[in-house]
Amino acid sequence: MKNIISWIDRRFPLTSFVKNELTEYPTPRNLSFWWNFGSLAGVVLVIQIITGVFLAMHYKADASLAFDSVEHIMRDVNYGWLIRYMHSTGATAFFAVIFLHMARTLYYGSYRSPRELMWWTGQILLLLIMATAFMGYLLPWGQMSYWGAQVITSLFGAVPFLGDELVIWLRGDFTVGDATLTRFFALHYLVPFIIMAMIMVHLVALHSVKSSNPSGINLADKDNIPFHPYFTTKDLFGLCIFLVIYSYFVFFQPNMFIEAENYIPADPLQTPIHIVPEWYFLPFYAILRSIPDLLGGVIAMTISVLIFTLMPFLDRTKIPGGAVYRPFYRVLFYVFLINVLVLGYVGAKPPEGFLVILGQFSTALYFGLFAILPFLAKKEELWLRKKGLSPELEALIQSEEKHKAERLAAKRKAKGQQNEK
Amino acid sequence: MKNKKSLLLLLSVVLYSSQILASSSVSLLDGYEVSVEQESLKKGATIYYNLCRMCHSLKYIKYQHLLEIGFNEAEVNALRQEHLMNKAIVSTATPENAMKMFGMVPPDLSIMAKARKHGPEYIYSLMLSYVENSEGIYENKIFNGIKMPDVFSYSIAQGEQEKQKIQKDAADVASFLTWTSDPHASDRKTMGFYVIAYLLVLSGLMYLVMRRVWRRLD
Repeated sequence: MKNIISWIDRRFPLTSFVKNELTEYPTPRNLSFWWNFGSLAGVVLVIQIITGVFLAMHYKADASLAFDSVEHIMRDVNYGWLIRYMHSTGATAFFAVIFLHMARTLYYGSYRSPRELMWWTGQILLLLIMATAFMGYLLPWGQMSYWGAQVITSLFGAVPFLGDELVIWLRGDFTVGDATLTRFFALHYLVPFIIMAMIMVHLVALHSVKSSNPSGINLADKDNIPFHPYFTTKDLFGLCIFLVIYSYFVFFQPNMFIEAENYIPADPLQTPIHIVPEWYFLPFYAILRSIPDLLGGVIAMTISVLIFTLMPFLDRTKIPGGAVYRPFYRVLFYVFLINVLVLGYVGAKPPEGFLVILGQFSTALYFGLFAILPFLAKKEELWLRKKGLSPELEALIQSEEKHKAERLAAKRKAKGQQNEK
Repeated sequence: MKNKKSLLLLLSVVLYSSQILASSSVSLLDGYEVSVEQESLKKGATIYYNLCRMCHSLKYIKYQHLLEIGFNEAEVNALRQEHLMNKAIVSTATPENAMKMFGMVPPDLSIMAKARKHGPEYIYSLMLSYVENSEGIYENKIFNGIKMPDVFSYSIAQGEQEKQKIQKDAADVASFLTWTSDPHASDRKTMGFYVIAYLLVLSGLMYLVMRRVWRRLD
């Protein structure tokens, strides 16, 4: 065995890779359970891919067969009901885990320097996951699948000049139909592997900047501990708890996240009374509907997802850490969280009366919170300084500044040397 | 402190999940619940077969599937007569005839209990929401303009006893259609119980492993 490994090591950095990136990978010892959701998201992706591959063995991507083939999986395939419910519940679990992962990043300010690329690769992952979930939702070919896809693809019609052509190009037909189903199936199978690749980029970035931690400051080397066995056991324990909750939904409430309407086969001639997207799209859907103009709504919805990208630019405080040491930011965070829940509620209900106004108010608040963040961060810093920072914090800021200055000086020096040459 | 907190969390998860697992029955109205008893399912199936099947198919249910809810082969043979064992149960009225009679094809009932919000309750209530209006014509209180006649004659039922008998029949049909909508539901729940029990034990052990490993840092 030893010989085999050393044979490989001469040709491939197996031992050093396992040592540096897995077993002895330095991890902050003060990580809380909020840092479990990254690895959980990875596990959920694996569950989705495995169950998805088995579903694809029995599923038929054909408008006249798709609905029946899903029922065939649920009824006749051995443990088909388990595979299908794991996959449909898995989509919900994926978003739940990803949203918690994002909330942690926002709360603890993990998007801040030097982890901007972590945040941005994460943003790309979010978009890819949303696209995959949306396309996957068409595959059961129920009423909600069909009309959801019809509504969302029609949004592209709001694009100036190219709109109508774009919609036809996306659908492969004038309305959602067989051509749409087959291409969504193909892409639904493809994109998860792109997600896999993107996760690799996300992880390479992580292993370069290392994990953030609840204190929000870069820890000294002595405060880092090897990933194994400390975080392997912690992640496994977290995984067990996750699996308990996930199993509860798979085995006891598998239809909680499937609209009743979606057990009616797609009927292009009969529009359901209320077309609602899956729960994880509801806040964005509410923003779309709150703008009276279609193009404006589409733009607002797109920005509402992409605006997270700006976080490192909007939040430029010198106070280290996230919401823990920053009372103003903490309030902002919780207001944002509650507002997203309100938007989710508005998105789930038909737009009538008071809810229209509530939706518009919440939409304005959603963007307003991002808009005031730069000013709030400055105000907060001034306020905290006036109140008097603790000496430790002051020292930390000083040392951060010193690091920055040193980095800059080193860069200048390197440049100067280059010029001399 | 932190350990205590997580232990408490774990305990509450255990208690909460066991509580949920214990109360997983679905209630209908008038004190009836969706039954998984073979007696009710068989009764519901028989009523469906003699009454509902005139118009409604069960395209995802084959005759052989009836063996799973307690029918023996002789009973299924008596029901199916010339129909093959491995064929789906279809309505007596052909879609063409139904079109002529009602102007529409009555919906398939296989997944009706899942295709409506609170499906079993909906099915039960729909069958018992018939009233006779002043002109002596039946109407349905929850489905305006329904084409289906008052098959149980509930709107003209006399006396409590007769009404209760019809309620029981409707509950059995609702239970049967709940089964047809998800024939593996009881397997699923049984398996889920063991899976979750296993995972809870594993979580407890994993917690102890984690705690022992992390003690090395103290």
